[in-house]
Amino acid sequence: MTTHPTPDGATDRSAAAIDVQDLHKSFGDNEVLKGIDFHVGHGQVVCVIGPSGSGKSTLLRCVNMLETPTSGRIFVEGDEITDRDADVDKLRSRIGMVFQQFNLFPHMTVLRNLTIAQQKVKGRKKDEAVEVARANLAKVGLAEKESAYPAHLSGGQSQRVAIARALSMSPDMMLFDEPTSALDPELVGDVLAVMKDLASEGMTMMVVTHEMGFAREVGDNLVFMDDGVIVEEGDPRHVLGDPQHERTQSFLSKVL
Amino acid sequence: MASPRQRAARLRYVQYAVLVLVLLAIALLADWDQLKRAFWDWEVVKAQFPDVITIALKNTIIYTACGFAFGLVLGLVLALMRLSSVGPYRWIATGVIELFRGLPALVVFIALSVGFNLAFPDRQIPFGNLGIVTLALGLVGGAYMAETIRAGIQAVPKGQMEAARSLGMSHSRAMISVVVPQAFRIILPPLTNELILLTKDSSLVYILGLALEDYELTKFGREGMNTAANLTPIIVIGLCYLLITVPLSIVVRRMESRAERAR
Ligand SMILES: Nc1ncnc2c1ncn2[C@@H]1O[C@H](COP(=O)(O)OP(=O)(O)O)[C@@H](O)[C@H]1O
Ligand SMILES: [Mg+2]
Repeated sequence: MTTHPTPDGATDRSAAAIDVQDLHKSFGDNEVLKGIDFHVGHGQVVCVIGPSGSGKSTLLRCVNMLETPTSGRIFVEGDEITDRDADVDKLRSRIGMVFQQFNLFPHMTVLRNLTIAQQKVKGRKKDEAVEVARANLAKVGLAEKESAYPAHLSGGQSQRVAIARALSMSPDMMLFDEPTSALDPELVGDVLAVMKDLASEGMTMMVVTHEMGFAREVGDNLVFMDDGVIVEEGDPRHVLGDPQHERTQSFLSKVL
Repeated sequence: MASPRQRAARLRYVQYAVLVLVLLAIALLADWDQLKRAFWDWEVVKAQFPDVITIALKNTIIYTACGFAFGLVLGLVLALMRLSSVGPYRWIATGVIELFRGLPALVVFIALSVGFNLAFPDRQIPFGNLGIVTLALGLVGGAYMAETIRAGIQAVPKGQMEAARSLGMSHSRAMISVVVPQAFRIILPPLTNELILLTKDSSLVYILGLALEDYELTKFGREGMNTAANLTPIIVIGLCYLLITVPLSIVVRRMESRAERAR
């Protein structure tokens, strides 16, 4: 039961937090994204599901230009990130990203992981950066780990630190690429709880996930991708409970 | 038929027997007094001190350290050029690396010292001999280290660069703060090996024609040998080299076994 507001102009594309228009991406001859159109409203949580290899990660990575689209346009908060002259580094600093493999910096303490980009990218003073970092560590329940090194954290702790690291940049939105897929089952809950809190605070989120429970409970919108196209999208309860397309039905029958 | 176990045991006995025979032969055939006079004459040993330490060992360490420091910087620059997306940078770096890896260090020393004077008769390489040693050792060491550093950078998981970029860091900022520090941890053992090699290559400075206060270990030992008509000075400076290189080797082996265990 989501409580955060859906903006009135959910269909007014200029007001969207993320707006993807006719996105194509090929690796050599392999066309991985075959014309993707969708948008995410402010404060919305969009979950993306689909079989492995369907292009979910590629889509997410295009949204912050870790992959360069072959064609199509992507707007983030109204700014075109695919524009040739866009300041991609600056735009990226407004988009938090959480990876399946955490990708914490192993040669830095947890606190340094959270402060380095604040200082080097945002130009925050050390004191301010540390303050922000501590607040975010507390938020993910790991205040006592600030001087630990990543090698000494469990998978669940690592992923929560990675979320806190992204949040420390005060991003406008967060992208999650299968954030719980590399975790032992008993550690998944902690990470999902942190993500649920974020959603209830009104963070705009795009989440690639296999956690159908999370998608049903927290998601405002569910996107089912297969073979580089969006096959079906809509209210998660409808898509999961009463899928319209045969491909969606067959995928869900395998994972549910 | 003997079992494989028995055969292995027999082979081991044969090996021990050979070893004992060789040692016996050396002990019986050698003229110990003559050997001692030629290789370890206490009077000559004493005469080497303190200069062998205060001049020769000190200079070897200074030459090696300067060459290694310059080589490290040069190697890092060449490695980053090799990985650049700008074609000419890659070509230049490849050319420099192949050139200085392919030439004997001695040739580089000669080319630098003689060549520079011929090319710029009225100029001098700054810091005199130390400048030439630093350049020559740095060029040779840097060419080797460039390939090591490049391999180290490529061994850092791609996700590290991506995480840094996703936080808004530029490519070069991510390299400096995230990738290169991790690369250096990976390649610390081979870099230390390079330091050992450079320690030995620093002996080539003799080609420059040095004043006494610039002698390093090898030159010092050769002069001492000529004066004493005796090999003792060479043994002394040989021990000095081992004083530097053996601890470094031990450090390398420690690091390698630790990396092995961490895997
Ligand atoms: N960097 C890359 N180079 C070449 N092919 C890639 C690259 N990244 C992804 N692909 C291909 O794109 C397809 C979709 O991958 P991905 O977006 O990771 O799918 P998903 O996240 O849905 O499992 C796969 O066939 C994969 O092999
Ligand atoms: Mg994926």
